[in-house]
Amino acid sequence: MEMIEANDKETQGVVDYIKNFIRKQSIFMLAYGTGCGAIELPATLTSRYDAERLGIRGAATPRQADVLLITGYLSTKTLKRVIRVYEQMQDPKYVIGFGSCTINGGMYFDSYNTINSLAQYIPVDIYINGCMPRPEAILAGFEELQKKIQKGEADNGVKYKENIEWYRANQKKIIKNWRMPDYNW
Amino acid sequence: MDTENNILTAVQEAFKVEGKVIRELRVEVFASKDEISSILLFAKVQQGYIHLAHITCIDWLEDGEFELVYTIYNPENKITLFVKTRIERENATMENIDNIWDQANTYEREMREMYGIEFPGLVGDHEFILEDWDEMPPMRRDFDTNAYANETFFQQPGREDAKDVREEITGRSGEIVPDYAKKYSRD
Repeated sequence: MEMIEANDKETQGVVDYIKNFIRKQSIFMLAYGTGCGAIELPATLTSRYDAERLGIRGAATPRQADVLLITGYLSTKTLKRVIRVYEQMQDPKYVIGFGSCTINGGMYFDSYNTINSLAQYIPVDIYINGCMPRPEAILAGFEELQKKIQKGEADNGVKYKENIEWYRANQKKIIKNWRMPDYNW
Repeated sequence: MDTENNILTAVQEAFKVEGKVIRELRVEVFASKDEISSILLFAKVQQGYIHLAHITCIDWLEDGEFELVYTIYNPENKITLFVKTRIERENATMENIDNIWDQANTYEREMREMYGIEFPGLVGDHEFILEDWDEMPPMRRDFDTNAYANETFFQQPGREDAKDVREEITGRSGEIVPDYAKKYSRD
């Protein structure tokens, strides 16, 4: 039913439709966890909720991965690593923000070393609210991401490159001693 | 309680310091800044306190002092001894004790970074946990984390107009918010 809904010939060509259909059926997520939310992922991936039936499974390295999960609070020190990981990932790439910490800081809103709003530093496709979200919520979030991919709206990797100056300015505001490689994609 | 009293007496006979038995298996001693290393060495060599469990720091902003608490442990009689001292908050300096216990180095580096206490002769990089930190040491109580976070990080719009809906919700069933619960309100 969802397929028919998304198969809008006026907005998408056949090739794009097939490409997006294939992309949404195999989402490899990077095996990388920040904060406390990564503990929900083993439960999501193992037999009870079995995320692999939706094509969601782990990937070992950033270059093999499609989706980066920011699972919970993100300290300024980790942000540096996250930016490097995100820039190494290949297009198309998606970001899912887990829990209230990535949306507005959550319970760490006044902390001196955790960022409050993730979307200011890297583009976020889907937010999953909760503290922490249960596996059902995570699967629902992935389903939303799949819908977005099918519609061809999940092109944040391209937007990141287009608006790189804006993102860099925000990132450099936090990371004062910038010793990171500059990619010229 | 006899063993606890014996330990307190032994330390007090050697050093003339104040102290008390807090409860079973817990003894505390208040010493001056200069006596700390002697007391720790005495406890380690003569009383069997071979384990340094923790060094912690308390910021007494109103008194203008830092309190350092050395928690040491004797695995034979299972008694924990707290050796406490107070140092000046301005230009805080404390004796380095990592020649008594090597692991003191880690705690002292952390206190140097988080409270700005200097330990002369302490080996190790000044940057320990934080990266590129150029503000006041963040665990000091006069460091305003909320103001710093508002200034440094982007706040998600919408937090400002979050309102207290407690009155509205209790009003639906005719309930009244009790006074003791009002202190948790947003305003």
